[in-house]
Amino acid sequence: MKPAPFDYFRPATVGEAAAALSSSDSAKVLAGGQSLIPSMNFRLSQPSLLVDIRGAAGLDVLEAGPDGVTIGAAVTQSRVKDSEAVYSAVPGLRRALRFVGHLQIRNRGTVCGSLAHADPAAELPALAMAAGARLTIRGPAGERTADADGFYLGPYWTGLEPSEIITGVFFPAEPPGTVTTVDEIARRSGDFAVAGLAASFAVEGGAVAGARLVGFGVNGRPNRLAAAESAVRGFRTGAVEKDLYEAAYEDAADAVEDVHADSEYRREALGALLVRAARAAVSGGAGMEG
Amino acid sequence: MAGEYGSREVDLTVTVNGAEVSRRVPARLLLSDFIRDVIGLTGTHVGCEHGYCGACTVIVDGDAVRSCSTLAVQADGSTVRTVEDLASAGGELTPMQQAFHDNHAMQCGFCTAGFLMTLESVDPADYQDVDQVVELLSGNLCRCTGYQNIVKAVCSAWEVEGRRSG
Repeated sequence: MKPAPFDYFRPATVGEAAAALSSSDSAKVLAGGQSLIPSMNFRLSQPSLLVDIRGAAGLDVLEAGPDGVTIGAAVTQSRVKDSEAVYSAVPGLRRALRFVGHLQIRNRGTVCGSLAHADPAAELPALAMAAGARLTIRGPAGERTADADGFYLGPYWTGLEPSEIITGVFFPAEPPGTVTTVDEIARRSGDFAVAGLAASFAVEGGAVAGARLVGFGVNGRPNRLAAAESAVRGFRTGAVEKDLYEAAYEDAADAVEDVHADSEYRREALGALLVRAARAAVSGGAGMEG
Repeated sequence: MAGEYGSREVDLTVTVNGAEVSRRVPARLLLSDFIRDVIGLTGTHVGCEHGYCGACTVIVDGDAVRSCSTLAVQADGSTVRTVEDLASAGGELTPMQQAFHDNHAMQCGFCTAGFLMTLESVDPADYQDVDQVVELLSGNLCRCTGYQNIVKAVCSAWEVEGRRSG
């Protein structure tokens, strides 16, 4: 229950961090460490080199403006959750972060760290996909950007190369009429979700005009729910809810089974979450306060 | 063999309960073990060692954190407070410690330091109802009390009234 020995390096710049990551084939980025250190305590992860990027120049940026919110890799989840400016621009962030760990974990854990770790039951990757977030990535060859949608390939597996770092993420501001919700079913407060839904609804005249729906905790990665996105179009208060439920149920046909829930339970839970979210979205977001 | 970058041992300086401590420690040393084994403050308890139970909660630069999921080196340059910093040297309890005592908010006491440090780290003004108190406490596990008396103690110390909504 203690980490195996490793070399610790604290770079002053992102460039230095990228160079250090390239120097070893089992180097890992350390930001908040709230997933990495527990996993190292169990020795599930035994990196030879930890590159602690928290002090690297330029990663401490948290900017909320009319276009959206930019979150640097050193910014903690608590800082994002507590920011009123962030909440005004992208309310979905606070709605997702209230489910992330507990206060003590959010005080150290970073938003970008969670996006990079890619736990299949994590809220932030799913929100990033639903909200159309863009990642800024730095590697030995320079900087690139990647849409969160398409970035998640499998459990703890993303489009990130081993020597690359997510240096920041941009969440576009929610346009008027957009309602973003994150909801989940977990055994206890702060536990990983048995099933979760991140949803961004465009609501016009009391009806859903379109939606980006992402299920998480259901299978190996956050997934767009194609059938549900189609079924939810036109949904308004009083409309038949069974169709939404069944579409999400179909989208989750490959739901995993484990000690927490069987596959059937996860599919039904996802259906129920979609009905709950769609109801709230068309009634002005009732019950979704951060 | 040391690689091109970094080292297995690190020098760090941490202010713990008002006293500055400088040590050379293994990079892999957890903050919880630094506090207990290097400094010798054993009031911080180590429960699950994977960030689940909250027994090891300490305050780093004003924020409650899990010391088992933090490397000692990550606290370099920081100010750390542990449960030993709460009661005065004369043994006078803080109002929250007194409320725990008065309400019998512990049985074995293993989790108590973690609860107290979580509570010490926040502004009571942010917690106006019992639901918010319960949510705050959700990051600390207690296997004895069933939480009722812990919630009662916090509500009594912070003058929170009413019942849970759910």
